[in-house]
Amino acid sequence: MNTRIRRLAIGMLVCYFALFVQLNILQVGREEELTADPRNDRQTIRDFNRPRGEIFSADGVVLAYSEPVLDANAELEYRRVYPTGSLFGNITGYSTFNFGSTQIERTQSDVLTGTTSAQQIKALGDLFSGGDVSGSVVLNLRADAQEVARDALKDPATGLEREGTVVVIEPSTGDVIAMYSSPTFDPNQVVVPDSREAADVFDFLNAYPGKPLLANAYQERYMPGSSFKVITTGIALENAIVSNERVWPSEREWTPPQTTDPIQNYGGTSCGGTLVEVFFRSCNIPFAQMAVELGPERMVAGTQAWGIGERIPIDLPGSVASSFGEVDDFIDRLPLLAIGGFGQGSDVMVPIHMAMVAATIANGGRMMAPHVVDVTRYHDGTVLERTDPDVWKTPISPATAATLNSLMVGVVNQGTGRSMQLANGIQAAAKTGTAQLNNTGEPERSHAWIIGFAPAAAPRYAIAVMLKGTNDEISASTGGRLAGPIAKQVLDYLFATDAAAAAPSITPPAAPPAAPPETVATP
Amino acid sequence: MSTPSPLASARRSTELGLVVMAGAITAAAYTVASLGKNAEIPPIILPFLGVTLGLLVIASIATRILARGADPTLLPLAALLHGIGYVMITRLDDRLAGLQTTWTFIAIAAYVGVLFVVQRTTDLAHQTWTFFAIGATLLLLPLVPGIGRSFGGARIWVSIGPINFQPGEFAKICLALFFAGYLAERRELIAANTWRIGFLRLPEPRHLLPILLAWAFSVVVMVGLKDLGASLLFFALFVVMLWVATERTSFLVIGTILFAGAAYIAWRVFDNVQTRVAIWLDPWPQYEGKGYQIVQAMFALSNGGIEGTGLGLGSPNKIPEVKNDFIFAAVGEELGLFGATAVLIAFVLIIGAGFRIAIRAERPFEKILATGLTTIIGLQAFIIIGGVIRVVPLTGITLPFVSYGGSSLLANYILLALLMRISDSSARRLGEVPDDLTIGERYEARQAARQARREAKRAARDGRTGRVDVTR
Repeated sequence: MNTRIRRLAIGMLVCYFALFVQLNILQVGREEELTADPRNDRQTIRDFNRPRGEIFSADGVVLAYSEPVLDANAELEYRRVYPTGSLFGNITGYSTFNFGSTQIERTQSDVLTGTTSAQQIKALGDLFSGGDVSGSVVLNLRADAQEVARDALKDPATGLEREGTVVVIEPSTGDVIAMYSSPTFDPNQVVVPDSREAADVFDFLNAYPGKPLLANAYQERYMPGSSFKVITTGIALENAIVSNERVWPSEREWTPPQTTDPIQNYGGTSCGGTLVEVFFRSCNIPFAQMAVELGPERMVAGTQAWGIGERIPIDLPGSVASSFGEVDDFIDRLPLLAIGGFGQGSDVMVPIHMAMVAATIANGGRMMAPHVVDVTRYHDGTVLERTDPDVWKTPISPATAATLNSLMVGVVNQGTGRSMQLANGIQAAAKTGTAQLNNTGEPERSHAWIIGFAPAAAPRYAIAVMLKGTNDEISASTGGRLAGPIAKQVLDYLFATDAAAAAPSITPPAAPPAAPPETVATP
Repeated sequence: MSTPSPLASARRSTELGLVVMAGAITAAAYTVASLGKNAEIPPIILPFLGVTLGLLVIASIATRILARGADPTLLPLAALLHGIGYVMITRLDDRLAGLQTTWTFIAIAAYVGVLFVVQRTTDLAHQTWTFFAIGATLLLLPLVPGIGRSFGGARIWVSIGPINFQPGEFAKICLALFFAGYLAERRELIAANTWRIGFLRLPEPRHLLPILLAWAFSVVVMVGLKDLGASLLFFALFVVMLWVATERTSFLVIGTILFAGAAYIAWRVFDNVQTRVAIWLDPWPQYEGKGYQIVQAMFALSNGGIEGTGLGLGSPNKIPEVKNDFIFAAVGEELGLFGATAVLIAFVLIIGAGFRIAIRAERPFEKILATGLTTIIGLQAFIIIGGVIRVVPLTGITLPFVSYGGSSLLANYILLALLMRISDSSARRLGEVPDDLTIGERYEARQAARQARREAKRAARDGRTGRVDVTR
């Protein structure tokens, strides 16, 4: 019988070897294919059942944290809480089980769940110190600056938020200090455990006019109006077709080539003078002429040098690209190129891009890639990765930047941007914009813009403010009248807090926390 | 009391060391699972460790007393599988932990009890037809109105008062005992092949008939109960034991043909067999229906990958019935390819130890029984693991020592005790350990001696003298 038993044993061994082979096929060979199957939500569950780290603002405010769900039968063990509500909705985004995640919650998901390879390797080292390996993310944005931006967007008369965007950037680093756009949304409303309720909220937000789920600041494009003249002038200066000495005759209208339809200045006024004058008066005709003189090739190449046509290299998902147009679009349509020269026609700019344009001038011609994330941290608070500043484009020389700087100072001191004269004598530089959206004969509709920076001599902040032309008041006004005070309010606040921090006082300045606090504030 | 034996001590010390390791692994896994699931060290970890080690040490000490020559690896391997299963079950459903703990106590008690009651394999060899009767009764029990219960389409449960159990789990041991006893007695007659039908040489019908009846009976009952997994197990068990006992390959061929025929008929007649085969070949089209379970098991295994998600960190509860039939998928998910392979290896080692016991045994009954018992464990694990990972069509059956369920655990520990007894018996016969009297025999010897003394006294009183030899 022993021979038979041995054969039986061999037969069994073969059977078990088959099991082992199949196990390898399923767990190793087909792992990726099975994990990628849309019906397989285990990876998501896994992420959701891990503690997820906090997101902090630069001034140490908790913007997102995970709260354990005490119900033992709940499918998910953690719930995301956003203590600041809608203030950072478009920055932190949301992390939902059924509807995916957006913004920081998406791009920094690996850090927050502790699944980057660096965190995993570190976790091996302190295996027994506790299971939580989640990391945290500290943003460049300041909660107080963000709040001031939101307040500034409110209509002084009614107290209601106007649709629009405020972006503040540090010119030398590209750090985004504030980026608020209205309408926005409260991520707490979409992370509810009941997926039907969440679906209803999404339906509502998707149907809402003004697209609150999209961050206007970097996911939408708007006609820039005269604020684009900064770019046109920059290109003209780089190509040496204009100089401070050039004088434009005072004209009421000018007819570009290939058309009989003349171009007018804003409000049909007569306008002209030196470069400084036409810039602070925001005449249209000189900039239309610059664009036509440059011609389609140089103009398009120039806008490309400013990053127009490329997606904004911000560290958030779903950014869009500003657009000017292609050479072929303009060769037979020079009038379109002409009005493009002062920010009309086919021009569309991403609001943050306009802030970057202002920052470029403030930074001596170098355009920094905008960064929302300052630093990511391990669970114990040590630095995982710090975002280093990097130059995205260098569209203009330092000399051109200096010229544009002085032109923009003129706008604040003598021109359309007087509303941005800052408190305490801080010299700002700016350029206003009023983008006419209506065709001739239609009711007036326009976006109000202002871009600028301060202090002009040694810029610390660059700003772009855009108010959408959603109502008559905005549409009837210029960027200087409506957007300027918003920019002033925000910059005045920032300089006031800087001064308070720099001044010797009893309480030392509140530095960002070296490590995230162990306990988080409840909303 | 018993003669000292260095070899027996060495075996038992090895066993003790290994069961303590298995217990430590279990306690560590229990802690990790709790950390993974609730992010806390379980408050009862010390009592848990104490009870786990206590039970295992008791089992090991009982073996030292009752079967000291037995194989030292079987108990630790079973303890390891049992521990992994226990940790998985408590991690899957806290409420089951208490019940499974109770069953663990009962199972260990049964292990000790069987070793105590069955002290010589010959005790079993003489009860062939008793085991047949018990096995048949157990199989038929679920069909009895009033106490039989159906869960999940199979009528394999019996409820008496508060106790629910699956008699099929015990029936398989009884039938293995019956087959072994019957075949040991008549294997030569059956193998004689004196009956010719055409070119086929078959044993005389009168030798073959009872065993054929037993097989047909079990298969028919199983099909009646719609328990395909158990049916397959019985069938294979029967064929394998017949083949090994008679050494006639023709039985293997005939068995395979019979199996193919029965499988074909089952496939034609039963809808659920067709469904299972279809799901086995391609579960994806039926994802929303009957294929859901197996697709989820595949997702679980892929989620585990090589190193696993870690205990308490996967989502095995998405698989329906994961604590019973699909527990292997949960092991694969949370312990990865490493853990799943460790379980496979543990079963291979149990099978190896079992067949080694069969080969070392000399009495045909022990040989055949050890082969049968080992086949039950090996085949049952293969059928369910293969079903879960789509090597064979899925048939519901528990994974020995690992799955949740008292009947299964209890039956497998009884089976283990029987294998240990056979192993000890061979060790005694081969002279590896002294063939001391068993407790029962010592008791009988004492009774006999007392009787003899009494008779001697009476004889003395009667005026006669005599010497009484009190040792056997």
